[in-house]
Amino acid sequence: MFYLYLLIALAILAAVIFSAPLRLKVWMALGAVGIIAIASVIPAIGVLLGGRDVMIVAMQSPLFGAEMLAIDPLSAFMLIIISIAGIATTLYSRGYLEHYLNKKSSAHISLHYFSLVVMVLSMMMVVVSSGGFSFLLAWELMTIASFLLILFDAQRAEVMRAALAYLVMMHIGFILLVAGFATSHAICGSANFADLPLCFAQGKTLLIFVLFLLGFGMKAGLFPMHVWLPEAHPAAPSHVSAIMSGVMIKTGVYGVMRVLMNITASADLYAVGIIILLVGIVTGLWGVILAAIQNDVKRILAYSSIENIGVIFIGMGIATLGQAAGNSMVATLALCGTLMHIFNHSLFKSLLFFGAGNLYSQMHTTLLDRFGGVAKSMPVTAVLFLIATVAICALPPLNGFVGEFLIYLGIFNSVRDGVSTLAAAGALLSLALIGGIVVLAFSKLYSVVFLGSPRDHHVAEATEVDGCRIAAMVIPVAGILFIGIVPQFAVGITERVAMQFTLAAKPVINSIAGSTLVSISLVALTLIILTTLLYLWKQRKQRNRVVEQGPTWGCGFTSPNIRMQYTGESFAEGLESIATSLTQNTVEGRAVGKSEIFPSAHNYNIRHKDKVDRLFSAWWMEMLRQINKRIMRLRTGKINHYILFALVFLVAIFLLSILNII
Amino acid sequence: MAILLNTLLMIVVALLITGVINRTRAVMAGRKGLPFFQHIYNVRLLLCKDSVYSHTTTILFRVAPAVYLAAAVVAILMIPVADLYPIISFEGDIICLAYTLALARVAIILAAMDTGSSFEGMGAAREALYGALIEPALLMGFATLAMFCGYTSLADIFEHEQSFDLHYTIVMFLVAYLFVTITFVESGRVPVDDPRTHLELTMIHEVMCLDYCGMDLAMIQIAGWLKTACFSMIAANAIAATCCFHWWFAVPLAILLTGLSVGFVESTQARNKLSRNTTFVVTISALAALIFFIGYLLQLNINI
Repeated sequence: MFYLYLLIALAILAAVIFSAPLRLKVWMALGAVGIIAIASVIPAIGVLLGGRDVMIVAMQSPLFGAEMLAIDPLSAFMLIIISIAGIATTLYSRGYLEHYLNKKSSAHISLHYFSLVVMVLSMMMVVVSSGGFSFLLAWELMTIASFLLILFDAQRAEVMRAALAYLVMMHIGFILLVAGFATSHAICGSANFADLPLCFAQGKTLLIFVLFLLGFGMKAGLFPMHVWLPEAHPAAPSHVSAIMSGVMIKTGVYGVMRVLMNITASADLYAVGIIILLVGIVTGLWGVILAAIQNDVKRILAYSSIENIGVIFIGMGIATLGQAAGNSMVATLALCGTLMHIFNHSLFKSLLFFGAGNLYSQMHTTLLDRFGGVAKSMPVTAVLFLIATVAICALPPLNGFVGEFLIYLGIFNSVRDGVSTLAAAGALLSLALIGGIVVLAFSKLYSVVFLGSPRDHHVAEATEVDGCRIAAMVIPVAGILFIGIVPQFAVGITERVAMQFTLAAKPVINSIAGSTLVSISLVALTLIILTTLLYLWKQRKQRNRVVEQGPTWGCGFTSPNIRMQYTGESFAEGLESIATSLTQNTVEGRAVGKSEIFPSAHNYNIRHKDKVDRLFSAWWMEMLRQINKRIMRLRTGKINHYILFALVFLVAIFLLSILNII
Repeated sequence: MAILLNTLLMIVVALLITGVINRTRAVMAGRKGLPFFQHIYNVRLLLCKDSVYSHTTTILFRVAPAVYLAAAVVAILMIPVADLYPIISFEGDIICLAYTLALARVAIILAAMDTGSSFEGMGAAREALYGALIEPALLMGFATLAMFCGYTSLADIFEHEQSFDLHYTIVMFLVAYLFVTITFVESGRVPVDDPRTHLELTMIHEVMCLDYCGMDLAMIQIAGWLKTACFSMIAANAIAATCCFHWWFAVPLAILLTGLSVGFVESTQARNKLSRNTTFVVTISALAALIFFIGYLLQLNINI
């Protein structure tokens, strides 16, 4: 019955969006997303503030038996993330799609908005479903909706290729998930997440966990299944990247968490914790190093999403190890940090993608080395992007710091209390390295795009974007500042969710980290106030002095020009020289030779491709090509051969059935 | 009272270290050297000067020195001087310290890139890389302290003198060595960077501030002193905790430890070739991991 209602609701939605006038479609979509968001956020807040779990609907599924949709704290937490990102994304899409309105057909635009709403709806359904059929249905709906969203610019060949690669990879993941649910159904007669402990009691924990980890990891972008991310994001429109990167990949993390919270035996927890930690470390390091050496704004952001998923998994791994050792303090701190980071990442990553969208729509490129000095032509975008940059580098006083701080605190407590010390030390080492390289990646991104002088006349002539997009970007900024400066409230909420894992009876975060959180907000405020005071003091002093403007000091060189500025490529050159083994470089054109005294015009283009990506495509492609070639040998084009094949086939069937093989 | 004294002593350490470095270098080179407080006079002079800003820069360029100095000030507020207590102290302040210093670094990198100068770009790129690679060393150093002393706050880690214990002494000396080495990198000294060089192509820290003058440059220099003081105080605390844990011992130790070692290295060693710097910095991080492991083994032994 539920599915019938769902179908009717989708049909009405489609009818409304498709029949609305061209310019009103966005408002229809925004209205729909708004209604869904409000309807889900109100019960979610109730659940998070300590109420009971809310049951939405119970039903009988055709495949796996009884299922239901219900909101528990983890679902409620995800619902809030999805709602915020959904509203911001839809609002942003108005300005971003403005100049496509004349180019694309009305049906095309309608389909886009319809998919957007379906995507938000299906993500919500994913996080409230109890598992089994309804979960898989919502998951598939989410994949198809996001596929359609990526495909917006389908006439570009690379968009088509990226979208198809995405679709194929998601379905491999989907098959693994089906296998996971089917296995658990076969073992204990239920495919609900809540019944997983029964299956785990049978001793097949690792098998089921790894199946789910692979299935969900495909969506989350775990190494080496991340290859779709850096292709799909540059291809998709920016607001779609924002919601995909900010929220959709988190549904993969959500799935892993759902499975994880049902594992109770400590030996299993230990093994699982080590797996999660290792996966997190590799994903994080791979993502961040590749992010730092990319030269395309959206590609950097995509790799940085991979890195953040890595950080989230590191936190989750530490929490699991803490749980396995029965150290609830480590588990609580690391889990709160993990959940906090999930929320934070959805805020600053959507903000960054919105910023990238502003750049693309005003300058029609996302190549890093075309920009320069955008801060002068688009000051508001520059400020908002700077906030997101500082937040993603996890620097105080913004929200990124709070999440990573809690993960670090979990690790330090783990080291101190001797809870798998060496694993925790490994996590610390990689997290610190990740943190350092993120700073490199994002200072490169920000400074090459927004600072310096424009390298291109399009860039110099760009104008600021419309108010609607700015309004959409202010939504995440508000969250970033609020969590950064007053972390207590948000951390309290995450603890309510973490209690589902640690099974603690009452919140403990205030007793173990309450004063620390207060101190963090004090440090944040001190930093802000001190900076303001120092700046004002300087301004005041300078009022009575001569303050001149002049050209940048050229170190004695009298005619420096714009093209001598440091580019993205040169900024990351040092890191590249260490990380050569991770990438496959493709070079077009020719560099200026050392013997050329008067160099002529050169065209030089270098792209750092992911080695995993190449490995995957090369391996699959080559194998398929070989098989194809062998099979093609049978296609001789002679009718007598074909009759022979038919005869061989019949004889084979005959023999096999006589021998009772088929 | 003790808190105020703590902050005051940190400022004293910050002001004196550069003087000791200069004097050590002069003595080792057989010169008479500059007056001991010359660097302070220079900064006072800078504070009174007019300013020139590049056309290319934005407001970020003017705010960055304030952020840099503010972050450095917050950092010294977190450092205890031996048995005294710092103003800001909470569980996990070691993480906060590392990231506050990272904030300072980001501010100065962005400011350098804001000028659009290729030389400053070079400096910024190098600073970003070395900063990224030294981060693990810093946090592993803190992790060793946390593991060995059982606290995650600097003030608690260095709370009291331990009765003599061989393992503790070994680890503390190793950690002190680690932090002195980190000081070389973080404050841009030989063998990573040479503040006296006159070729912009080979500078790191100095080249990032090429376009600053007057008050901005003064603020950056003061922040640099404060940063150096942070690391050398941690190193001094680690040593003081093993023998004589009082502020009147730790303060001269902090000044002399960094002052003499930096001065000595600068007069006896040439700076690295730039391509060797990465290896040098990564080695420090590897060393930090090794020290952690040694600490781990020694601690296991104690428990048995």
